[in-house]
Amino acid sequence: MTVGQVPFGKFIALLSDSGLRVRVGPFNIRINTKSVTLANHIYRLYESYKLAEDEFAEFHVQVIVVHPKRKIFSPHIRFFVDGHSPFPPFPQEQGLTALEWGINLVIAARVSHLLLFHSAAVERNGQVILFPAWPGSGKTTLCTALIYRGYRLFSDEFGLMDPDNGDFFPIPRLMPLKNESIQVIRDYLPEAILGHEIPKTLKGTIAHVRPPKESFMRSEETAKAKWIIFPKWVAGSSLSLEPLPDSEAFLLLASNSFNYEVLGEVGFQAVTHLIRTCSCYKLVYSDFDDVISAMNDLTD
Amino acid sequence: MVYTQGHYKLLLDALTNPDCLIDYSIADWELLLRLARKVKLLGRLATELNKRDFLKKIPVRAANILRSSLIQAKRMQQLTHWELNRITWALQSMDIPVIALKGVAYSLVGLPESAGRTYVDLDIMVPKDVLVSVELELNQRGWVCQKLSAYDEHYYRVWSHEIPPLTHVEREIEVDVHHTITQPSSGIKVNSGLFFEAAVLAEGTSYKILSSVDMVLHCAVNLFQNNELAGDLRDLLDCHDLLVFFSEKEACFWENLIERANQFSLGRPLFYALHFSVLMFKTPVPDIVASNLNNKPSTIVLWVMSKLVPVALFPLHPDNPSKRDRVARTLLYLRSHWIRMPLYLLLPHLIYKSYLAVFPRKNSQS
Repeated sequence: MTVGQVPFGKFIALLSDSGLRVRVGPFNIRINTKSVTLANHIYRLYESYKLAEDEFAEFHVQVIVVHPKRKIFSPHIRFFVDGHSPFPPFPQEQGLTALEWGINLVIAARVSHLLLFHSAAVERNGQVILFPAWPGSGKTTLCTALIYRGYRLFSDEFGLMDPDNGDFFPIPRLMPLKNESIQVIRDYLPEAILGHEIPKTLKGTIAHVRPPKESFMRSEETAKAKWIIFPKWVAGSSLSLEPLPDSEAFLLLASNSFNYEVLGEVGFQAVTHLIRTCSCYKLVYSDFDDVISAMNDLTD
Repeated sequence: MVYTQGHYKLLLDALTNPDCLIDYSIADWELLLRLARKVKLLGRLATELNKRDFLKKIPVRAANILRSSLIQAKRMQQLTHWELNRITWALQSMDIPVIALKGVAYSLVGLPESAGRTYVDLDIMVPKDVLVSVELELNQRGWVCQKLSAYDEHYYRVWSHEIPPLTHVEREIEVDVHHTITQPSSGIKVNSGLFFEAAVLAEGTSYKILSSVDMVLHCAVNLFQNNELAGDLRDLLDCHDLLVFFSEKEACFWENLIERANQFSLGRPLFYALHFSVLMFKTPVPDIVASNLNNKPSTIVLWVMSKLVPVALFPLHPDNPSKRDRVARTLLYLRSHWIRMPLYLLLPHLIYKSYLAVFPRKNSQS
């Protein structure tokens, strides 16, 4: 059963009372909020999320409406995980970004049985491409273009790898487009479903992409990675896809992981094995059609 | 007794009788792990389950959380031990005794339960007469203290048993440098020189740790004299573990413990530690111990403490925190201040803290 199949009344009741339990990749998250604004946003954008009623939830998060002492007349919202709030209050209209960032934070801080790369990941023909984050990579935008052109979304934020066998876990979620990327995607993919624009967040204006249904339907199907591609969007550039030496790829990937150091030797062995079994590239692009056809050639 | 039911029982049973975990339902596991996280006991549960080879037999999501916590606990242990290594190196030329305290000391002394213990910082003790030069030396070698308000700075320097925490600029572990075990403002004067005289080298290392009885006393004093007790279940469990460990290892452990507590006039915090450890964890403490301790609380004080301490030590229920538990925590918070400061210091302190709660300073708002 998915969120969209729950009647709105029951959905609201769950959120404000015993909690809405949804499957988020390999994790279950229980969400509580009494904010009706936020509930409306979630209902529309989480439509394809699977319910995890009566299942064990790893993370218990709450978004609470608060009235900060110095801003009594402008209600804010605050994100909590197990009674602890990692951020200061956000303006109420930013509830969805607070929830999504909060979930990122709690996954990054608590999960150590998996290696967490800071990377987008998509799958085609049973194999995963990792797009590690680095400044200006535009990984979310690239990821959005690919998943609307036949690629299956694993994540635009986390490459979740089991260090024992190298399996990657899909963790499909909303994908936050920032600033200019919003219009870029609206122009290139008029069919993409976007949430409302949330202005003045810490990262500028944000609009969330709702990933295609298929990514959620198949969110239990793991796969191994075959390519690690470090992307860079450069205005007006022609496409180039150059091999990257393993040693350089190793350093870039490991230093971009959320918990590589925490895993110690296990992390080192896992990244070594991953690099040895993947082809690594540096990608420079400006045009989506070009990059999609290059990725298709690579993954055919 | 209230803690023998509901969420208290769920956690206490898991700690005292890990074999029963095999029968926990999914809902029990979910609540248990949320509670254990709050009192920093996930790593401990993980090691207990590992020992019994249970991790494969329990719900896989629970096992993954426990595995994650154990990996994180191990990492923090590694970082804390490395920090001790660096501190010892930095202070080498001063030729002074540096005693490792608390968590890192428990692992140095070989306490079996320390394998899954979650550390948050490194605690060391140096003699008071070299405190200023130790701080200067550490500052010169890259340990800095974060900016404190003038009030907090004064609190640490004048009323506290430690200096403001130091962190090396290249690392993240906080180092608490103590010069004694009780807060000077509490009026309890402990001759800390005696700790240094009795300190021993941890087996197979060049690190100093407190003698067995002093280590137990420090644990008890920290919990019942220096802390506010809310959610401090882990610290009482430390006491229990140490008592079991040393009493099995050393012939005259109990006699030495009584003598040492009476020598320092620390009978009361030790009495509480033994009393509550027996009550909750069934620690095998011989009866002669309590009867030979000085400065014991009166029957009525003990009755009140018995109502407040156990419920306050447990984490609040994450979904339905009870009013009674909150009241117990507030009363013990007041008690902890009452016994640490004379009234002429306490009143201005509490007024200042209340003021901050209403009008937070900018940098402490988050």
